[in-house]
Amino acid sequence: MRISDRRFATFLMAPAALFLAIFVAYPLFRLVADSFFKISPIAGGARDFVGMDNYFRAFASEAFMGAGWRTLAYTLVVVTLEFALGLGMALLFTMLGRNSQIWRTVFLYPLMIAPIVAGLLWKFLMIDNFGLIGTLMHQAGLLANPNQIGWLSDPNIVLFSVAIPDIWLTTSFMCLVLFAGLQNIPGDIIEAARLDGARAPAMLFRIILPLLRPVIAVALVVRGIDAARAFDTILIQTNGGPQSASETMSLLIYRTMIRFGDPGLASAMGTIYLLAMLAVAFFAVSTIWRPGKDN
Amino acid sequence: MPTTTAPSPLSTKVSGGNGARRRRYHAEGLEAGKRSTRTLLWILLAAAMILYGFPFLYLLFTSFKTPIDTIAVPPTILPREWTLENYTNALGRSGVLASFINSAQTAIISTVLSLVLAVPAAYGITRYKTPSGRVFIMAALVTRMVPPVAIGIPLASMMSAAGLADTPIALSIAHTTISLPLSIWLMSSFFEAVPQDLEEAATVDGCSRLGALWRVVIPVVSGGIAVTAIFAFLASWNEFLFALLMTAVRSQTTPVVIANFQTQFGLDWGSMTALAAVYSIPVILLTLLLQRKIVAGMTLGAVKG
Repeated sequence: MRISDRRFATFLMAPAALFLAIFVAYPLFRLVADSFFKISPIAGGARDFVGMDNYFRAFASEAFMGAGWRTLAYTLVVVTLEFALGLGMALLFTMLGRNSQIWRTVFLYPLMIAPIVAGLLWKFLMIDNFGLIGTLMHQAGLLANPNQIGWLSDPNIVLFSVAIPDIWLTTSFMCLVLFAGLQNIPGDIIEAARLDGARAPAMLFRIILPLLRPVIAVALVVRGIDAARAFDTILIQTNGGPQSASETMSLLIYRTMIRFGDPGLASAMGTIYLLAMLAVAFFAVSTIWRPGKDN
Repeated sequence: MPTTTAPSPLSTKVSGGNGARRRRYHAEGLEAGKRSTRTLLWILLAAAMILYGFPFLYLLFTSFKTPIDTIAVPPTILPREWTLENYTNALGRSGVLASFINSAQTAIISTVLSLVLAVPAAYGITRYKTPSGRVFIMAALVTRMVPPVAIGIPLASMMSAAGLADTPIALSIAHTTISLPLSIWLMSSFFEAVPQDLEEAATVDGCSRLGALWRVVIPVVSGGIAVTAIFAFLASWNEFLFALLMTAVRSQTTPVVIANFQTQFGLDWGSMTALAAVYSIPVILLTLLLQRKIVAGMTLGAVKG
């Protein structure tokens, strides 16, 4: 007996769908449900329905609003720098052509390094006293004293410092995607622009970037989502400090849950965070990326 | 059709083009022509490569320094005296070797689980194009936007309720929630490239649909399966947040051990760098070996989401 195609397709998709339903959808449902309760951190402890109270507490808390702004600033810094550096490298590789292939491969290596290792490594490079970066800048005559910049101890700049490993890790990714996009720009368009006398900046801003638009959009959306979830690199470098100056949303939620033992409040924060991510991502996907609308 | 949801330019040329295309590109494309310009570009590239490669080299050099040299002020780049002390210290610490086994075990289970679930699902989505398939692949894309911290906590309590607390199985399942959606997207684009006549011919020859999938289609996409497997493995090997939430003594993976070094043993930078190097080098070598496949997967994965 033959079953219909549609049934067969459903049969093939069912195990994966079931897995995602149990291990993603259900925990998300639990997260939202928990956000309406005041929960004791002890297993089997009290669980009282408090309605929207956790949400009011979240929005009233300075830590939460601060983490929200910091997450936004962090994401913007990471994605902007990474895009600029990645595009620069992609153009460099493209202009050097085939001979640069081996270097493109070598350039990939940070992508394989665990974020926790990258965070540790950069902490070691930026740490006060024996950090190499301060020393090198001092020897180059840029700083009067190797410890002049407290990369990880100055609350004013720490959010930028903790972003460095993230930028280092994933510029390769941005470069790779943009490089693939550049390879697909037909040579005759470039040639025509060149014959029309386009200089380098005009070539970049009027020809190349517009042609790369779909690729750029995808890369920015994908990386934006990842940067907004940053956790490992920041936790190992500063654990959110000093004075919460590098505490982003993932860290705050983690600490609210684990350190301060408030699962209800952590769940409310998690729910708001998730909704914000979905809203921004849908907006980006539908207006910038526009899947299917580009030829 | 899933492929139309993504801009197409990347799909054609991710693993090197043909000669004709290369030549035309050389003649008219963005490649720099003048010799002086090219020299300047090579100098720029060399500078970028040194800056980019240096941090990891410094980690390697540090791992060979004596403990006193490691935190010397001012720091030196190369070790004054090369020693393996940090390696013996780090690897000799209780739980460190076990954590490598846990990492490998978790990553292997998660990779297999991801493939077993993603391959049929992606085939069902691309081959039959039912409305439910379209909804499913969009749902998988949405899953990518879920912050791990949001599901990590309820997931951890589910696992302990199921009696799986502190096991590699529990962590593998958690890691699969990350790698499964990406695997589905990657595999759908690989299946999309398989001509349908292939399995139609097999069915005419008397294969069942499942038999045609297993004997004809799967061998054709084996390269794609390898790419997907690499990504699933790397995702699990490098993951930290779930590992932190869901493991204690028995199933702790190396990233958690590396992070714990900071608090448990003061700041033993030498051992930390040695352990970090041991953990990173296998995957770096793997990447250099399989770079073509990884580049193909990375660009596809990026386009797909």
